Amino acid sequence: MDPIVETERVGKRFGAVQALDEVTLAIPRGVIFGLLGPSGSGKTTLIRLIAGALRPDAGQVCVFGRPQPSRANAARIGYMTQSAALYPDLSLRENLAFFGTLYGVPERHLRARIEAVVAEVELADRLDSPLHTFSGGMRQRASLACALLHEPDLLILDEPTVGLDPVLRRTFWERFRQLAAAGKALIVSSHVMDEADRCDLLAFLRDGRVLATGSPAALRDLTGHANLEDAFLSLATGVGSLLEGGIR
Amino acid sequence: MSLRRIRALAARIIHQFRRDRRTLFLLVVVPVLILSLLAWIYRGDGARAVSLAVVNQGQSPLAAQLVSGLRQDPTLDVQELDAAAAARALDRREADAVLSLPADLAIRPGGPPQEIQVTLEGSDPSATGAVLGALNRTLPATLVRAVDPAGLPIQITPSFLHGGPQFDRLDYLAPVVIGFFVFFFVFLLTSVSFLRERIEGSIERLIVSPLSRGEIVLGYMLGFTLFAALQATVTILFAVYVLRIHYVGNLGLVFLFTLLLTLGAVNLGIFLSTFARTELQVVQFIPIVIVPQGLLSGILWPIASLPVPLQWLAHLLPLTYAAEALRGVMIRGDGLSTLWVNLVVLSGFAALMVVLGTATLRREAA
Repeated sequence: MDPIVETERVGKRFGAVQALDEVTLAIPRGVIFGLLGPSGSGKTTLIRLIAGALRPDAGQVCVFGRPQPSRANAARIGYMTQSAALYPDLSLRENLAFFGTLYGVPERHLRARIEAVVAEVELADRLDSPLHTFSGGMRQRASLACALLHEPDLLILDEPTVGLDPVLRRTFWERFRQLAAAGKALIVSSHVMDEADRCDLLAFLRDGRVLATGSPAALRDLTGHANLEDAFLSLATGVGSLLEGGIR
Repeated sequence: MSLRRIRALAARIIHQFRRDRRTLFLLVVVPVLILSLLAWIYRGDGARAVSLAVVNQGQSPLAAQLVSGLRQDPTLDVQELDAAAAARALDRREADAVLSLPADLAIRPGGPPQEIQVTLEGSDPSATGAVLGALNRTLPATLVRAVDPAGLPIQITPSFLHGGPQFDRLDYLAPVVIGFFVFFFVFLLTSVSFLRERIEGSIERLIVSPLSRGEIVLGYMLGFTLFAALQATVTILFAVYVLRIHYVGNLGLVFLFTLLLTLGAVNLGIFLSTFARTELQVVQFIPIVIVPQGLLSGILWPIASLPVPLQWLAHLLPLTYAAEALRGVMIRGDGLSTLWVNLVVLSGFAALMVVLGTATLRREAA
């Protein structure tokens, strides 16, 4: 089966900074693919390229077999950005109705879909409150609800669990697992190593390059470390600069 | 192109501003307030009389006639003083000017020309203008009556092609005030809300969604056109029915020109918001984009009165064409056969701005 996402020697430069360099990855359906690395390692740039918010300078990003950015792909992708990126002066319902309509959720299903996703993220009681009254964690959940609304085949989640309490974090991961089991592909970025074990496949990113990819077990075997954090550190050169980069 | 998506975007903009009471208030009440203020300035009584000190050095009958003539001028506050007191009053700015009438002032046909001296305080150009204007109005008429009490056997009878004897500065300004505020507010609101999309990151969601650039621009135009129409309607109704300004034209044309101006302003806002990182930086565009147009587009001074290079500049500004068209429609009842150049230029400006606005929304723009 063809992978849902394929990147072929992708490069992206912002001015003098080479944000990504020669990144080659394949992401099949039905898996949770974890992008791990310190901040500044290029996770968000890679995610934006896959989502179609950026165009690569070198190489190609293909999603559903079509090079990104492609409008034909847009409705099949759900993208949860790092910030909530919703409209603070609109209610949750208005935000969801707006994005639901953009993504072509039929009018007659919109109400039911909105109620389903807010129940999933446990925000049903806040449906009619404006978003500026929400806490950080609530906004995070609203943002996930927005990405799930149109039942995409590919979910791209940029640090989805930052600022969530442990109970809710577990709920999120259980939900991600269900979606993968239903045949969707999920890309989840994180700089928290204890989340890495929950992914089916991992890519370690550092300074815009992929250090290694594989299942958590394969990466342990490769490095001989039982702990994924140690595995990462042994793959990366210079432990000091890594800590500076904010790895936990 | 999906009408449903465009409508969703327009509806979202309307929802956002509908809840923003202060902005709505600003949008509708400010033009009404400014127009009321202008009405008060131009139509209210109590225009300050300028103060004229008269030094009558003799007791000639002609001088007495001139003084009583000046006293009848409502814009002058005349007091007779001796030379020293008059000089003091001028120095203390209690008088705006001193008029010295020679002791032997009389009409002597064939004699040498006589001089009447006026000393002006001079630090306030409007007072200077008012004094000289009043003297030029009153002195010749009084002199003519001194020769022949019946006055001149010639009378000037004015009649008007447009406007009329009651037509005043407010009538002249009101049509343009409508265009100026529509342009200003639509530009400001679009650039701020577009900037917020960038700051909040929601533009990223829009860009990766099935929404195309063209649909974003159309949705924004549709949403803000509604607010512009609301503002224009309130302003026009207030000007026509409350202030009773002179109005002879076709309301449809007023809305047509306002609409074209709105479309240009929305896209100018989208375009320029790319160059701003904060709301403060958006505000910094006002002295660059709005103020020069306010000064040069014929709103306050006729374009023909500007120095020639500035006239060229004025003809590069969209507001010039809108102001001319709105005045043409409302004051002279002009139709499209007269105003087609304005229609073409404003449509061209709107189209150019649509292209620029859309170009700034390239996929990789965010």
